[in-house]
Amino acid sequence: MSYIITPDIVRYACTCGLLKPISNLYFCRYCTQLRCSFCVCHEVDTNFCGKCSENIPSSEARVKKNRCGNCYICPCCEQELSTRIASTKTLSDTEDTKTTPKKMYYLSCQFCRWSSRDVGIPDQSTVTGGWPERENVHANQLQELVDMYKAIVLAQKQQQEKDKKKQRGKYLSYTDRTGVTAAALRKRIGLPAELTHPLLRSKPKEPEPAVAKTEVEKLPIELFTEPINLMDITTVDQRLLQPEAQPTTVDKLFPVHKQLSIKRTLRCKSCEHNVSKPEYNPSSVKFKIQLFAYYHIPEVRIVTVEPLRAGQSCELILKFTNPSQHQTTITILELNLEQQEVEEAEVAPSFDNMENLSLQEKQQMSLPSMLSQPSSLMSMSTRSPTITVKPRKISENVNCDVDVPSSTFILPPRDDAAEYDDSGDTHNIQDDTKLVKWRKSNKAYVKLNVTPKEDLGLNSDVVCGFTMQHVYTNTITGQMDKKEPQKYDHKVKVFLHLGKLVGSE
Amino acid sequence: MGLILLDSLPLHRIPCYGLKINMSRNSIKILPGALVCEESKLRGDITIGSGTIVHPRASIIAEAGPIIIGEYCLIEEQVRIVHRLPFDQRNKENSTPVLLIGSHNVFEVDCNVESPKIGSNNVFEAKCFVGNRVTVSDGCIIGAGCRLTEEQTLKDKMIIYGSRCQMREGLDKPQPQTLQIETLTKMLPNYHHIKKSNKKN
Amino acid sequence: MELRDINYNKSDYVETASGNKVCRQTVLCGSQNIILQGKVIVQSEAIIRGDLANVKTGRYCIISKEAVLRPPYKKFSKGVAFFPLTMGDHVYVGEKSLVNAAIVGNYVYIGKNCVIGRRCTLRDCCVIEDNTILAPETVVPPFTRYSGSPGSCIGDLPECQADLMVDFTRSYYQHFQPTKLI
Repeated sequence: MSYIITPDIVRYACTCGLLKPISNLYFCRYCTQLRCSFCVCHEVDTNFCGKCSENIPSSEARVKKNRCGNCYICPCCEQELSTRIASTKTLSDTEDTKTTPKKMYYLSCQFCRWSSRDVGIPDQSTVTGGWPERENVHANQLQELVDMYKAIVLAQKQQQEKDKKKQRGKYLSYTDRTGVTAAALRKRIGLPAELTHPLLRSKPKEPEPAVAKTEVEKLPIELFTEPINLMDITTVDQRLLQPEAQPTTVDKLFPVHKQLSIKRTLRCKSCEHNVSKPEYNPSSVKFKIQLFAYYHIPEVRIVTVEPLRAGQSCELILKFTNPSQHQTTITILELNLEQQEVEEAEVAPSFDNMENLSLQEKQQMSLPSMLSQPSSLMSMSTRSPTITVKPRKISENVNCDVDVPSSTFILPPRDDAAEYDDSGDTHNIQDDTKLVKWRKSNKAYVKLNVTPKEDLGLNSDVVCGFTMQHVYTNTITGQMDKKEPQKYDHKVKVFLHLGKLVGSE
Repeated sequence: MGLILLDSLPLHRIPCYGLKINMSRNSIKILPGALVCEESKLRGDITIGSGTIVHPRASIIAEAGPIIIGEYCLIEEQVRIVHRLPFDQRNKENSTPVLLIGSHNVFEVDCNVESPKIGSNNVFEAKCFVGNRVTVSDGCIIGAGCRLTEEQTLKDKMIIYGSRCQMREGLDKPQPQTLQIETLTKMLPNYHHIKKSNKKN
Repeated sequence: MELRDINYNKSDYVETASGNKVCRQTVLCGSQNIILQGKVIVQSEAIIRGDLANVKTGRYCIISKEAVLRPPYKKFSKGVAFFPLTMGDHVYVGEKSLVNAAIVGNYVYIGKNCVIGRRCTLRDCCVIEDNTILAPETVVPPFTRYSGSPGSCIGDLPECQADLMVDFTRSYYQHFQPTKLI
């Protein structure tokens, strides 16, 4: 329930310092770090249409401007349009022959009852339509602009390559031999200096610039004299749905192609491993790679909170769930935000080093690439550069102290069969009964004492936090030297919104 | 006299209408060809035209006066059609207004209609609310979840839709649901107890 | 937040061998056409219109109070036919919601007071927020969150939504317990 509709009351601190509910976090097994949607690379995996659930290859999607060729949305209320069969009775009546009347189709919105007949689009004889496309009046001008910018990009690329060539061949230049620069030489010969800027040279014909007019056409007089029928005028939303046409009256609303949706692959920015890769089929909800924190990091949920009073200790019951297939031990440590900064300071240089490293690498990579084999290495360096983000400071106003328990507790592995097993949970785990109230399969209900700070005002939100250390068992088989799964102590900061402070009796 | 006193009380839910109805008894007239499920709730003086279907769990309450429903109307489950006058018009004791509902109207699931006059070929979509100051003409569509409370008269072929009750004018009247009514008249008697028609044409 | 126990009066509910808990104050029309796959909760005043066409739910579905499941109709040139309504596993339908869809996938959450229009298709893993009105024949793709009137996509869902819904419906079922008489 907590993650589906209600606001997030338990949040975990991602490695980057943002707070997210566990369902929105990823766990990179290769770095053993938490990642959130802001610290992973998003890549478009597939394009598909949400209505017809068909995959559309990216090349086709580009040509169709990321819209579905067959599905339309209503220009009036933005809902999906459905194809209707026109009643052909009138046709057959007039013909009064026995030939099967031809089926005709029109588009109709089931929500606002807009139909393609409203704006006089003729009915079509095929289901998929062949609906007339609106030609944009400015299409030519836009195309010219696009062409021009494409040419500029091309020219810039050529320029860069030329520069590289220059760098490489600079020992052969005239300057070296004669001590005279090309510009100086030009001057001496009497040619205008630097006439051959490549950008200028290879520029395509420039489109006609827009010219401001001083004379403006007068507004039609009807605008002032005729009463306005608001139902004939489009709303702002309707106009913005068709930015190229921006119709002002409802009789100019034409069906719009439905925009495509995407499935995306997420990639850890620091190690470039995928943390999420969906299946190809648009309607599938399965994943090829799914490194979600929800499957690896113990989940914390609030069960009950005693009424919170400033300066008074109150009991908090939390439920810990182990989602993994391995037993884990949980230690609750103090949340130390100052320490975190120190850690940051320690970590930061290493990050910098990495950045330097990657830079050096890139330079090393790009140097030989210019010389001989430009293809493979170049593509590698350009594909997804390792970007390391400096962790930011956690912005959470913690105003409640947690009594850190001295003992730890064990969470057994998750067992799906346990759902059907009604026999008691005899794990024979020696628990600190002060800490663990009761447990059931991979879950433990843990009691903590929290004390809201003295100076808190009534009705203020009480937020507490702690560091949860758990043993993470890494089962990556990639590491050749170690056959045994590796165990790590992984720490994560957890923040809990406990609710409002009530009066002190 | 006592009744008038009760009428002037500010709470319109006061059971005085119930009292009145109880005194004037439920008089339900179902014309032949109409299909009214036993599980529906009909209170007061109600006439149901032929071809009209009333699903189970629909309630029609003639509080302020008789309700006359035309032919081929479709009244789905959880619909509430209440004949309830606006508060300021209630004291006119001598006239009993009749709620006339035309033909081919569709009342979809959980709609709440208190309109004082309803024409023909209208569609009241699911969960819409039409207050007792709204007069509905012909061929209107009140979209799902729309709430109309202000005093107004909907012109012919009006379409109300969306969260802000946007309006537009339809090209045609919505198509009558005669085909659905046909199917339902065949299907429903297999599963439900039907109230017998008690009136001859 | 962990779910609290939801108590019901034992005499109000019928529990079947497959673990369905159905309130006696419901309207199940044409009950021979209604298939509840097991561990399904149907709460008071809910209406399931099995008389119109087959209604099939998956396992661990929760039909809240006053919700209506109603098979959609489709118009043909010769007449009208009602189509079966199929619902996947782990589906929650909130109070007073009307489901007129053709297909509701697995792991779907429908909030309170929604209208799921005629012949809609809700694919797996989607959330329809409270008071949403979905236009007829809308297709809701996976991992999307719909809201408003007309319902439109307002965001996406975490990739582990399926597991969240499994957890939610299971724990709802576990917490749905008869009131203990002391």
